[in-house]
Amino acid sequence: MDRTLTSFIAALRNADVRISPAETLDAMSAVELCGYRNREFLKETLALVLPKTPDEKHTFDETFEQFFAFEDVNGEDAFVELDGEATEGEGGSGEGQGGGEGERSGGGKGGQKKAKFSAFDEAEEDEDLGPGEMAKAQSALGKLLMQDSRVELTVGMASAAKEVNLEEIQVFTQKGLYTRKIMEAMGLADLQHEISVVRQSPSIPDKRLGQELKKRREWLREQVRDYVEKQFLLHADATGKKLREELLRKVKLSNVEHRNFRLVQEVVFRMAKRLVALHSRRRKVFKRGQLHVSRTLRHNMSYDGSIFDLHWKSVKIDRPKVFAICDVSGSVANYARFMLMFLYSLEEVMPKVRSFAFSSDLAEVTDLFERNKLEDAIAKTLRDYSGGSTDYGQAFEDFRNKCLDDVDNRTTIIILGDARNNYGDPRTEILKEMYDRSKRVIWLNPESRNTWNVGDAEMRKYSAYVHQADECNSLTHLERIVGNLLRTIQ
Amino acid sequence: MTDIDKLAGSVDSLQAGFETHRYICSSQIATAVYLAYQLRKPVLIEGPPGVGKTELAKTTAEMFDLPLIRLQCYEGLDEAKAIYEWKYGKQLLYTQVLKETLDEVLQGAKGFSESVNRLHEFGDIFFSEEFMEPRPLLKALKEEDGCVLLIDEVDKSDHEFESLLLEILSDFQVSIPEIGTVKAVAEPPMVFLTSNNTREISDALKRRCLHLYIPFPDTELEQRIIHARVPEIPPELRRQLVTFIQELRDLDLKKVPAISETIDWARTLLLLHTESLDADLVRDTLNVILKFQEDIDNVDAEITTLTSKAIKN
Repeated sequence: MDRTLTSFIAALRNADVRISPAETLDAMSAVELCGYRNREFLKETLALVLPKTPDEKHTFDETFEQFFAFEDVNGEDAFVELDGEATEGEGGSGEGQGGGEGERSGGGKGGQKKAKFSAFDEAEEDEDLGPGEMAKAQSALGKLLMQDSRVELTVGMASAAKEVNLEEIQVFTQKGLYTRKIMEAMGLADLQHEISVVRQSPSIPDKRLGQELKKRREWLREQVRDYVEKQFLLHADATGKKLREELLRKVKLSNVEHRNFRLVQEVVFRMAKRLVALHSRRRKVFKRGQLHVSRTLRHNMSYDGSIFDLHWKSVKIDRPKVFAICDVSGSVANYARFMLMFLYSLEEVMPKVRSFAFSSDLAEVTDLFERNKLEDAIAKTLRDYSGGSTDYGQAFEDFRNKCLDDVDNRTTIIILGDARNNYGDPRTEILKEMYDRSKRVIWLNPESRNTWNVGDAEMRKYSAYVHQADECNSLTHLERIVGNLLRTIQ
Repeated sequence: MTDIDKLAGSVDSLQAGFETHRYICSSQIATAVYLAYQLRKPVLIEGPPGVGKTELAKTTAEMFDLPLIRLQCYEGLDEAKAIYEWKYGKQLLYTQVLKETLDEVLQGAKGFSESVNRLHEFGDIFFSEEFMEPRPLLKALKEEDGCVLLIDEVDKSDHEFESLLLEILSDFQVSIPEIGTVKAVAEPPMVFLTSNNTREISDALKRRCLHLYIPFPDTELEQRIIHARVPEIPPELRRQLVTFIQELRDLDLKKVPAISETIDWARTLLLLHTESLDADLVRDTLNVILKFQEDIDNVDAEITTLTSKAIKN
């Protein structure tokens, strides 16, 4: 039974629930206590041990239903059915057995599948050959099919699935392939051969067998497809998602399609969360005016217990100031979107982000982000400021008038833009002023390095007055840059 | 087999036990307590404010007849307030006394090394249990017959404090540099941690705990809770007010009314000798369930519909 549990945990992990080995052990001891008897109890028990956030609980519920429902139908129930079938004995004609089964399966969970059997048994009567004697199937799979022995078919299906490594399925387009592979591993070739032989044979019972086999083959195919589908959901859905995410990290942000924004956002949040976790521990809090009693006493022990060397509790707050200046004109807007998303997701470790957007004139959008939800704020910024032709000179001028005075030696200025100035005055002297006053100026350019100075781009002039100029056009770049930023400003 | 063992022997008996202590809980909650007792694992309880997270720990203590030791977390909480502190005053006083008797102690000692040896005999008395002031966590470990330890609102504390908790949560012990490791005396405490999700709890901490999420109760459960808490209220009114609250939770509110608010409201209505809800009455007493003027203004327009819905159903 432990294997059931571990494979359930594997399915959970696949669905993005993070479970450590320690938690697996906990789950095992918990299950030892509660047993597999009571399904609800089992679910509640595991829900306490395995998922650790409301989100994960939700995923857990779904996975549990899916996983254990599957076990029920093809595992335990099948064994019950097996006993029933063994006592009933093996019927010769499909019709007789089909009828019996139809009655028997009324209440059971396996009812649906049984019903399918009887459904095409009835269809059989419509055939022009009519009911009657039927020849015996010869091939191994054919025999299994004609015996209606679901348990053996299921076992065969499972072992065939193992043989073709069904658990390695990754994307949904592979479903058909795996279905065929499993059918083949179960002996489809022999069955096909037999079908074509008996269908050509002149004897009526043989023909009947041919039709019957063909139908049952279709039924089997459906079963296998269902099986593959379920396994795909359990094992591969998340893997496919992971592949997509992996890809999104590397793809140029301007190429991200609109329908993938949500996914990108998830990725951004996750990256940001990791950075927060990494850096929040290093944040120190500075509290003055609180006497550190124990340290004071300990240090003063050596002075006869007379207290004169005082020690204070000192923990440091160093809140970095970040000014983000984003070019939101058409060509760079998408990059600006993701950078702002990233910066504001880091609120916990970088509480003081001020952001500015410009295409020709520059405006501060910090308020927008304080008042609105992240997505809305970004959308509004892009809507309000992205018109107009790019003018870096004007933007820098505006910046100088508005808030150059707020820039001090703890401020990091991040400029995101392609430095394409439409042959206007680049006003590098303002950038120099910013460079002199701030702790760091970082220029992020979404274009690749070798086009930085082509055409109307002014990167060569600007890069003299920045501490760091980087190419930044994918999430991986963004993460690396923001990670470095956090390291240097703390 | 002690009483506690009997009570915690199955989920059903626990659920019944909670009920006699007027805490109506879902089977999920009872299962959590059952597992916590059987597996000796701490429980991390999350959920919106006012659904009875703290109450669960309190009731468990009451039911098992164990002392409840509570540690309220806040920003800046450190080991001196959570685990132990030295009695500095006492230490100082003793140093003064010792200084005066130092001559007696050293009397007859020949040479420096012998004096030092004599002094060594005192050992580290200044940093021994005599001089230690145990704080909640240490106290909980020292309880002879076990206890219920409630670490309330752990999300309000700092990251550092969370790391401090790890040792006590997984091994029921704390390390004190001057003394060594202090283990739970006999029966390890039952630990409950609560969190309002103001910040994400670290994975390390979560891994060591059972995780219980208490959502808002459904209508039926909430009715039973009101029945247990305010038994005097007539059943018809109880049904109406629970329906009303449930409807209210679906609205877009800044602070959604929790169970504690429902109970308060039930008491208020009882005090006003209400027989049945009506719109004016609801409007007058709305400040019992909604804590923001903004919310009250928002709901005001809907009151009539909500009330009539609650009465009709």
